[in-house]
Amino acid sequence: MIVDSASAFDVRTYLRQEMMPHFLCPGCGHGIALRALLWAVYELGLDKDKLAVVSGIGCAGRLSAYIDANTFHVTHGRPLAYATGLALARPDLHVVVITGDGDCLAIGGNHLIHACRRNLKLTCLMLNNEVYGMTGGQVSPTTSETRLTTTTPLGNSEPNFDACTLAAAAGASFVGREVTHHVPKLKQLIRAGLEHPGFAFIEVLSDCTEIFGRKNELGSSAEMVLRQKSELRPSAYRDTVDSPFRSSDLPTGILTKTERPEYGAAYRTAAAAQRARLAASTDQNKGRT
Amino acid sequence: MSGPNPSNCSAGGVQLLPVAAAAKAREPINVLIVGVGGQGVIMVSKALASLAQSKGFEVKQSEVHGMAKRGGTVFSHVRFGPQVWSPTIPKGEADILVALEWAEGLRWLPFLKPDSGIFICDTKRIVPPFACLDRHPGALLRYSRETPAEVKAHVVEGYAIDATRIAEELGNVRAANVVLIGALSMSLDFSAEDWEQALSEFVPKKTIAVNLEAFRLGRRWVERARTAPPDAQPAETPAPAYRPYKVRLEITPEWCKSCDICVKLCPERCLRLNAERTVELTDAAKCTGCRLCEWLCPDFAIRVHLDAAEAPGVVAAAEGIRP
Repeated sequence: MIVDSASAFDVRTYLRQEMMPHFLCPGCGHGIALRALLWAVYELGLDKDKLAVVSGIGCAGRLSAYIDANTFHVTHGRPLAYATGLALARPDLHVVVITGDGDCLAIGGNHLIHACRRNLKLTCLMLNNEVYGMTGGQVSPTTSETRLTTTTPLGNSEPNFDACTLAAAAGASFVGREVTHHVPKLKQLIRAGLEHPGFAFIEVLSDCTEIFGRKNELGSSAEMVLRQKSELRPSAYRDTVDSPFRSSDLPTGILTKTERPEYGAAYRTAAAAQRARLAASTDQNKGRT
Repeated sequence: MSGPNPSNCSAGGVQLLPVAAAAKAREPINVLIVGVGGQGVIMVSKALASLAQSKGFEVKQSEVHGMAKRGGTVFSHVRFGPQVWSPTIPKGEADILVALEWAEGLRWLPFLKPDSGIFICDTKRIVPPFACLDRHPGALLRYSRETPAEVKAHVVEGYAIDATRIAEELGNVRAANVVLIGALSMSLDFSAEDWEQALSEFVPKKTIAVNLEAFRLGRRWVERARTAPPDAQPAETPAPAYRPYKVRLEITPEWCKSCDICVKLCPERCLRLNAERTVELTDAAKCTGCRLCEWLCPDFAIRVHLDAAEAPGVVAAAEGIRP
């Protein structure tokens, strides 16, 4: 038998199989991202009971329901807020947030920047498919300019967010981006994010085939997957190909990795110091009376 | 220094052990350094050339690294002596052949002097893409199957060193070429200090320590190979075992949503959607178990198993490509 992790990893052991098949449309890239996440979890040997997945509303938010672990399906845009509370209260858990582009950047944009600022140990997986798929294909903060959606019938005229730049500017200590086409690379990136001692923000470029792809005539599911290579031109080959071919429109891989104090540990230290001070002052007061 | 050829004699003030006769006859000493792009062939030859030059020899070095980029063949001729005319080494004239890759070493063997040439080779196997025509896992490669022992029987003096592993254990795989420099230095009578000084000039400053350690390990390896009794010789690197696998696709048809990604992206084109619009394998013999379908299936409907093959069919197919 071959004993590498690709052979040994069976994604079904990490799924709630009674919930399958999942509700995602045929060809939706979110399933591929979910596999990469579970593969990274498998490789790190994380106990399912020690894994907590928090997700918001939307197609991506629905993914937590299929993971056989501690899962929370919370209000729109607030998975990072819930996860912050959970990670602070239970530092023994590995908290992973699965969120969509609208959930993370529009409804929960404020939570995102503050989560980045705090640097609490969390892994935030933002599945970016450029559209609000579940509600029928409205424009989202990451929809590229000129793209058609149900609310931009003449083409999107707003500039879109670069979520990774936003997260890095807000202070996230780990920022990465990958496309769903490169599954092992995506797994490596998520694994690095899970291992990072601080806030890890990972943007996964996923395909919405049924709504965004159809509206913009991007072709079949397979063509959309291949489009990730031809059109987005991720920098996956940046380190392996020499200069004339090195040009890349889309930086992928680990984009930012810095060392910053982790908020949870800092908070617990401060709280313990405060408790000690209080105890000392009560003792002093006792001595006086 | 203890060598198999103790007839030391002087040439230009420098003691040269096995190549002494050549130097005495006012003939250049020919060192051919070969390998694969990216291994550091040119660095080895430059270090040797500059060292020889600093010792008052006339040195000529010529190399081909043109389109080799990463993974292509690279070779460098270094000739030094009291007087050198031609920059290239004719076939059968190399005193020492230093190969940084196993198959490259074999490719250049005819350049070695048949009666006195020294063969120093890394057993590292870098399999070129065109040797991987059969993409089935565990399939035989069109790569040299000679064992180090078989090759050493054909040369007067041969050292098959697992330099890449030695360098890996040191923590920097890129120091493998310096392990071989260490081995080479045992056949040329420049002093170890001179080598170390020359090396320090050619490697990046941060890696001087690891490279000097690699150099010493290479020297020690050859010393041990020369002096140790046959049962205490450094271990030979075994060729990778040929392990065929049988690919088995496990498809969960109820989960398949006929998105067609696996069918379109399968490199072997051995999947299709059947009448029920669920995926099925059309030709089990074609499937190489690359896992692209498993990884890209958003619905987790495909699982690839690589079982140990008992089926003789797979073995026969792989044997068929034996060159």
